[in-house]
Amino acid sequence: MLHLSARRVGSLLARRATAALSTSSARMASHDVAQAADMSQPMYWDRLDTPLPDKPFKDVLTAADKSLKQKEKGPWSQLTKEEKIALYRMSFCQTYPEMKQKTSEWKTVIGGMFIFLGFTGLVVWWQRIYVYPPHPRTFDEEWQAKQLKRMLDMRINPVEGFSAKWDYEKGQWK
Amino acid sequence: MAHPSQLGFQDAASPVMEELLHFHDHALMIVFMISTLVLYIIIAMVTTDLTNKYILDSQEIEVIWTVLPGLILILIALPSLRILYLMDEINDPHLTIKAMGHQWYWSYEYTDYEELGFDSYMIPTQDLSPGQFRLLETDHRMVVPSESPVRVLVSAEDVLHSWAVPALGVKMDAVPGRLNQTAFVASRSGVYYGQCSEICGANHSFMPIVVEAVPLEHFENWSSLMLEDA
Repeated sequence: MLHLSARRVGSLLARRATAALSTSSARMASHDVAQAADMSQPMYWDRLDTPLPDKPFKDVLTAADKSLKQKEKGPWSQLTKEEKIALYRMSFCQTYPEMKQKTSEWKTVIGGMFIFLGFTGLVVWWQRIYVYPPHPRTFDEEWQAKQLKRMLDMRINPVEGFSAKWDYEKGQWK
Repeated sequence: MAHPSQLGFQDAASPVMEELLHFHDHALMIVFMISTLVLYIIIAMVTTDLTNKYILDSQEIEVIWTVLPGLILILIALPSLRILYLMDEINDPHLTIKAMGHQWYWSYEYTDYEELGFDSYMIPTQDLSPGQFRLLETDHRMVVPSESPVRVLVSAEDVLHSWAVPALGVKMDAVPGRLNQTAFVASRSGVYYGQCSEICGANHSFMPIVVEAVPLEHFENWSSLMLEDA
């Protein structure tokens, strides 16, 4: 079983030599060649950044398609514009402008966002009326005014902040 | 105190707080610049039609975006450490006050010369006079002389509290059974508000701190009066 005839050894060695000459796989010194096996199925895609898919769009060609494909083997100047377009559509589903076409998805997104924001606003409004307790008396207009005056009298944040914006000589905001 | 809807720091009332303000400006400027750069890059990446699938590496830019952030960090760390050590400088306090945290009030003890001690309770909202600040006013303020280094020994009688006055750049945890020391100099006379900064129970939000910095003669008058009342 392990016993190889001279003929078979010869053919094995010959295959190995051609493999060494033609392959571009990685080879470390005195190691066997490593090859990455791509086991993916060929598929079709429309991608801006990868122009050529594994296979053409139309797999099953009608008789008309097949005859057009034959004509394509000749000089292309003899193809009409419609034929060229038909050939393109056989190989590809969308053109580049079609791929790049803008959608209206953003309108749905922004619209949905505003709907939810609006709903939240309604909930907050309802809460303000039916849930929140009454304001403490320190929120009354008169109290706020007295508080403001007291803050100015106490020179709260006089350097760059609150009291710095009040003109004490003129008695008004700067 | 902060005015309503204030976002930034209060004006500094101590030299340390001034340093912190300037450092914050410095660090925030760096943060804004980095954020602007990142936002620009994000927008550029999202709005481009170009693709490049074949970049594997680039040593030059990797070096740049490793070294440059390192330099930026040093640029932030040096001022930060400077202030950190500045805060721990040996100072010569004119006055030592003990601030003791209780549930739910502070008590202050001035025991350098005489035995002066008092409690500082928040004034409830219904007892406020018109114009007073809700949840910030106390019945007794911690009075200190302005422009004098003051040492505060902070501790607690029951649970954790924290003694904080943002305008003075001071915050120190009050730990039961432990004395924590902090110090400040009130650069200008004024009233400075703070609030308990460590959760301590139901009324944690209702035990504020009020420091009143006054010229020395006024402080002496006040302490004499307080001793008489006691």
